Amino acid sequence: MSKQVKRVVIVGGGSAGWLTAGLIAADYRRDPASDGGSALELTLVESPAVGPIGVGEGTWPSMRDTLRRIGVSETDFIRECDASFKQGSKFVGWVDGGAADHYYHPFTLPQGYGEADLVAQWQRAHATMPYAELVCYQPRLCEHGRAPKQVTTPEYAAVANYAYHLDAVKIGQFLQRHCTTRLGVRHIVDHVTTIESAADGDIAALLTAAHGRIEGDLYIDCTGIASLLLGAHYAIPLLPVREVLFNDAALAVQVPYAQPDAPIASHTLSTAQSAGWIWDIGLQSRRGVGHVYSSAYTSDDAAAEALRSYVAASLAATGAPAEGTRMAEALTPRKLSFQPGYRQRFWHRNCVAVGLSAGFVEPLEASALALVEFSATMISEQLPATRELMDLVAARFNDAFRYRWERTIDFLKLHYVLSQRSDSAYWSDHRAPASQSARLTALLSLWRHHAPSRHDFHRIEEIFPAASYHFVLYGMGFRPEPQAGAHAAARAEGYFSEAAALGRSMLAGLPTNRALLEHLKTHRLQKI
Amino acid sequence: MTKLVLLNNVDHKALRVITRRAAAYGDALMAAPTFPAEFRTIQGCYPIVFQKRADTGQFQPFALLGFEEGENLFLGKDGWEAHYIPMSVERLPFFIGGQRSSEPGGAPKRVIHIDLDHPRVSSSDGERLFREFGGTTDYLDRMNMLLDQLDAGMSATPAFIEALLAHELLESFVLDVTLKDGSENRLAGFYTINEERLRALDGTAIGALHAQNCLEPLYMVIASMAHLRDLIDRRNRRR
Repeated sequence: MSKQVKRVVIVGGGSAGWLTAGLIAADYRRDPASDGGSALELTLVESPAVGPIGVGEGTWPSMRDTLRRIGVSETDFIRECDASFKQGSKFVGWVDGGAADHYYHPFTLPQGYGEADLVAQWQRAHATMPYAELVCYQPRLCEHGRAPKQVTTPEYAAVANYAYHLDAVKIGQFLQRHCTTRLGVRHIVDHVTTIESAADGDIAALLTAAHGRIEGDLYIDCTGIASLLLGAHYAIPLLPVREVLFNDAALAVQVPYAQPDAPIASHTLSTAQSAGWIWDIGLQSRRGVGHVYSSAYTSDDAAAEALRSYVAASLAATGAPAEGTRMAEALTPRKLSFQPGYRQRFWHRNCVAVGLSAGFVEPLEASALALVEFSATMISEQLPATRELMDLVAARFNDAFRYRWERTIDFLKLHYVLSQRSDSAYWSDHRAPASQSARLTALLSLWRHHAPSRHDFHRIEEIFPAASYHFVLYGMGFRPEPQAGAHAAARAEGYFSEAAALGRSMLAGLPTNRALLEHLKTHRLQKI
Repeated sequence: MTKLVLLNNVDHKALRVITRRAAAYGDALMAAPTFPAEFRTIQGCYPIVFQKRADTGQFQPFALLGFEEGENLFLGKDGWEAHYIPMSVERLPFFIGGQRSSEPGGAPKRVIHIDLDHPRVSSSDGERLFREFGGTTDYLDRMNMLLDQLDAGMSATPAFIEALLAHELLESFVLDVTLKDGSENRLAGFYTINEERLRALDGTAIGALHAQNCLEPLYMVIASMAHLRDLIDRRNRRR
């Protein structure tokens, strides 16, 4: 009889490790009423010396469902993780770098999406208006710094679809407490000194400095960029994507608010630079700002200078200019270098990588934590009962995530290929046909005549839905060939008016992002 | 607008309060806040429902008086057609406010405030507040007592709500009312007791609720729901 899969060992305790532990532990939590044998034994081994790195502070709306499934309260999460509400991204300077150049990729679907040909009617009758602002009320909420819900909205429920900005270090600590005290996850803080192999090549055990041998049936590698199990032990190669996405370095700083009551943006600001872009994420207590760039096109010093002047300008806009410059000069950016790419396989023998150990690309659409959620969910739902079945599950997992990585990279690349910026070789090289996948090239030709649809993205759990492609394509200035006839124009117009009316009533009813976050310091959201 | 001032027998010597019930005096209320100690009386006339307060997001029990904003189905030509008016309405235009103690570190004193902009406030019509030489009238004494009960009752509400939530006894409900004239009305945003959950509670949980004085008001809420029928009938009669 084949060996049962009963013991899961997670290596690494950052946000990836604890999200994975939380999702699996919650799914396999023993029913307290039954006294049946333990469904699954879950251990997380974390090295005391390795600190989690502070990127990936934006999430997707899927994080709401993830946290709810893990069983934490949203109020506690927001309080303890310095979290704030995120309703999408605003891209500044990506199209041509001009003064008015910006567009939104909101989390809410266009009003009437799939019910009418919104794109055709937008082009026919409203071509001068930004697509996202015509079809969706959410950009208006973001422009006015509104929260996506009211104080009476239950936990995890939304008025306008939302995700979070969060402190990636704090969410690890927050979930650690929940996993160890409520979900029965064994937590070992120790150095893994040796990975012991079985005769067949499986991992037999981990040897630790103070806790001896730790045995498992499945090992989950959440060791970050080091990729200790999949990368270092199994030598599964990283497929580099630097030819497609050039960015390979980031400088990150924490920026205080100019005043204690300064607005907290409820969207990620992403501002294009001459050899990269700057993220700007508003947490409750501070902003997280970083410049991600290509070391082939700029120097660290020049990148740091661009970051400083961005921070100084942003502080000057809300406070005293002199103070802004002084604060910006005082910041010491932390540098992170990475090789953009993903592993050739993610699940190999009895080891599967989740998080940065599986791959990493620039955080342009905050896909890092979403991929962790997708991975942990699939591992949990498909967890093989026996070692014999594991190879079958591994093959499916590898197929699913290779597809997701490819789609992620195509979608990020889309932001670059459509740019008309000509201020540097970085931008013109990004448009070189050789730098994009054949699939993306083909899709772009098709999209000249048909808007992206489910026919282009036919998997059940697509990483980016067709609606996201609409927002980026039309936000970036892509214009399909005009369609003949005015088929169902009135229907589309009806949805445009609906979006505008919803925007007006929501503006009247929603508090500001900061006001809601302040409220949550003293009041709890209800569970119902 | 409201203009709350500390009530005193000098500035407000000649003030009167109209006690007739009419929309013009601010009685066109869809719901009136109530509290557990009042439930026994309230359930004699009105359905008791829960709603989240817009300012805090916390649950507050209400006596339901109508189906839409500004509709009080108990308000007729001859005043309020029920033998009991919720204290939170009866006490208007008076409010309780805190006043800093004259002694350093002393607890704040509870004092009566009046809303001078309230339509009940008059100089010629209604009940007097003060006697000729500054003493309080029976009417004001009664209002004072009412405010005390209201204040004590309201401050006991959060513990009651906390207990309901801890046992997951609240659930949202939507009431779709089809009136005789065929019009469809939906009452949403309210919460009530989940009777199935309540019935499933074990002896320990019921004992705990009883010890917290939550059991009686809980059943009063359930009993009160029978008045939803009255409310619909009242609405049908108006059309």
